[in-house]
Amino acid sequence: MALKALDIYKLLPKKNCKECGDPTCLTFAMKLAGGKADVELCPYLSDEAKSVLGASTRPPIRLVRVGVGVRFFKVGEETVLYRHEKTFYHPPGIVFRVLDTMTEEEIVAVTKRVRDETFTRVGADLRFNGIAIENASGSPEKFAWAVATVEKVEAHLPPVLIATDPAALTAALVHCGTYRPLIHAATAENYKEMCAIAKQHGCPLVIRSATLDGLVQLAKDCTAAGVADLVMDLAPATLGDFIRRSTAIRQLAITRAVPDLGYPVYLDATIPGLEDAALVLGIVKYASVIVTDPLGPGATKAALTLRQNIYTDPQKPIQMNPGLYRVGTPGKDAPVLMTVNFSLTYFTLEGYLESTRVPCFMLIVDTEGLSVLTAVAAGKLNEALVRDSIKKFGVENEVSHRKLIIPGYASPLSGRIEEATGWKVLVGPRDAAEIGEFLHEEWKQP
Amino acid sequence: MTCEPDFGWTGTIGEVVLGATKADGGTRRVSYRLGGGTTLPFLEKRADIPTPLIAFEICDLPVFWSPIVKKACGDLVNNPAEWAKAAETAYGADIVRLYLTSTRQRDFSDIASIRPAVEGVLSATSLPLIIEGSNEPKIDSEVYQACGETGQGERMLLGTAEAGKYRSIAAAALAYNHSIIAQSPIDINLAKQLNILLKEIGVQRDHIVIDPYTGTLGYGFEYSYSAMERIRFSALKGDTDLAMPMICSSIDSLTIKEVREAGPADQDDMAIRWEFYTNLAAAAAGAEIVCVRHPGTIPLLRRAFADMKRQAGEVQ
Repeated sequence: MALKALDIYKLLPKKNCKECGDPTCLTFAMKLAGGKADVELCPYLSDEAKSVLGASTRPPIRLVRVGVGVRFFKVGEETVLYRHEKTFYHPPGIVFRVLDTMTEEEIVAVTKRVRDETFTRVGADLRFNGIAIENASGSPEKFAWAVATVEKVEAHLPPVLIATDPAALTAALVHCGTYRPLIHAATAENYKEMCAIAKQHGCPLVIRSATLDGLVQLAKDCTAAGVADLVMDLAPATLGDFIRRSTAIRQLAITRAVPDLGYPVYLDATIPGLEDAALVLGIVKYASVIVTDPLGPGATKAALTLRQNIYTDPQKPIQMNPGLYRVGTPGKDAPVLMTVNFSLTYFTLEGYLESTRVPCFMLIVDTEGLSVLTAVAAGKLNEALVRDSIKKFGVENEVSHRKLIIPGYASPLSGRIEEATGWKVLVGPRDAAEIGEFLHEEWKQP
Repeated sequence: MTCEPDFGWTGTIGEVVLGATKADGGTRRVSYRLGGGTTLPFLEKRADIPTPLIAFEICDLPVFWSPIVKKACGDLVNNPAEWAKAAETAYGADIVRLYLTSTRQRDFSDIASIRPAVEGVLSATSLPLIIEGSNEPKIDSEVYQACGETGQGERMLLGTAEAGKYRSIAAAALAYNHSIIAQSPIDINLAKQLNILLKEIGVQRDHIVIDPYTGTLGYGFEYSYSAMERIRFSALKGDTDLAMPMICSSIDSLTIKEVREAGPADQDDMAIRWEFYTNLAAAAAGAEIVCVRHPGTIPLLRRAFADMKRQAGEVQ
């Protein structure tokens, strides 16, 4: 049962020593209550207070870090079942799999791809996160060779080591033991040896069981053996299994009904014929580490875009930088279309403008990411903003005419914008899809 | 130890019948019962809850249709009846969704052409139909009247009603016993409001399918995804004004930059993945009908839905 901030505060030393990183014990208590801090940060807590607070204040899903260096990723510490309740914090690491039966060229090519490839959209660089190396050969030497091959190309890509033989893992860890690889996987049969290896190298460990009871037991056993950074492989036989178990685990973990399920989830998406489906469902249904074979061009963009969409904070719309943007190479007589800096509005309008093939300017004004309708209602979009933006972005020097096309939903402002700017205002359509037709019919050369 | 989550649902998604067989006074080979869900999508324990249905979208005037579809479907795009037949027999769709794009031409007035267009598709396929009519208040009434009458007895789904445009569609649906698609702009409250408006003019709950509007992947999909999750959540919590099946139609999937600008060798792949990722994620959020325009997307969705419904140990 979660404690309230004030109940927690009563258990704290009330010294306001700041050693936890917070200015006061009360602010630390509030963070603990929200699952955003760890009791261990307070050096003055009695063991008794820790045991009271421990279970109820640590984040309901443990934060696990994979890899070191600039490309490491963190997963877990999620607090909700639905993104609209708050947000999803840590996007899943999507790692490409190589097998130790592949040739050196193949392994090097995949590694370089993960190292180098980025896909930029809405101002963010989207990337895959790491390399999973699988001991398909069964030979520890081959496995160690494959891991060394990856590490030679780029040592800072978070590795996932997939092997059932502890001897193979030991051989591979000679090459990457200090890079915090994720080890896959401890089962009821081998967890003692796996825990010893993970503990020795300070690595996070995947536990694998096809039942939730099995996972709970493994989590208890592994933490008792000294490995606290766990990730859970639900060993789903079907995608249906995955959705059902992953949803159950998320719900049971965030409500703290079963605290031992409070770890990030691992998904093997290398299911013949169902790779794309596994990626989609992993991304939307709570997977935190997803292993896939290297993706083709379509799946690459779609998967990275879906992950970006789902892990966008619903309370903070992605914004465009305000400014004057060009579509094609507009001349002095090209139309100027004003709209808001809500990224979705921008990209939707831009897409339709591009397909009309009419070169034009987009004047993007700063409504703090609000859409046209809400910005008008909230008064964020007003004549002063439009006037100042025209000046600030030098629109008058770019075009020889003085005509401004405004969004249909901003029509109530048309008169006031004309007065404030001295520009003639044309009210455009409400729906960006109709902008092509509008331009062809309404836009007359000045 | 209990490892079953308790969501505390009290509501059920209402059911909507789509398509009428001979026994029900129609000519369709199959009739679907949409909805009936009692928990989150794909978490049902009941085996009789259907997987989402796949609608293939066609039109009667393909000038504004994506060139990618024209390439994939060839000459069929110029013959709606043959195209509809291919949707059933070659592509493996569950539903045919016919857009009467001809009615969206400037100054369209040829109402008499609607009956043969709808009749042609009805006789070419035995699948249940969704008909998308005009987008112009001056002719909506006549267009929907003609659609509704032509499909009388077939339990079609007519689209698309919006807050400012629902009377003509509702009138045709009520007169000829069809259901309607009610679309709101990615907002649970507006979705509810429209359903209440429809209820007030006599459209029953079991004749409404909610379209929360789907921005395609990368173009607002996250808003649509959450709108769908919220609608489903509210319905399961007992809000009967939102307890209807949902349809996902990401009509922009094939016109967005990533697909448009893909090289010729990658364009089909990009188009199919974009439709697939958008629709599968929407199904996970609660869509009971998903819509595609590229035939290549259908087998991928079909296979994924089957595996998502399958329990551990069940034979494929």
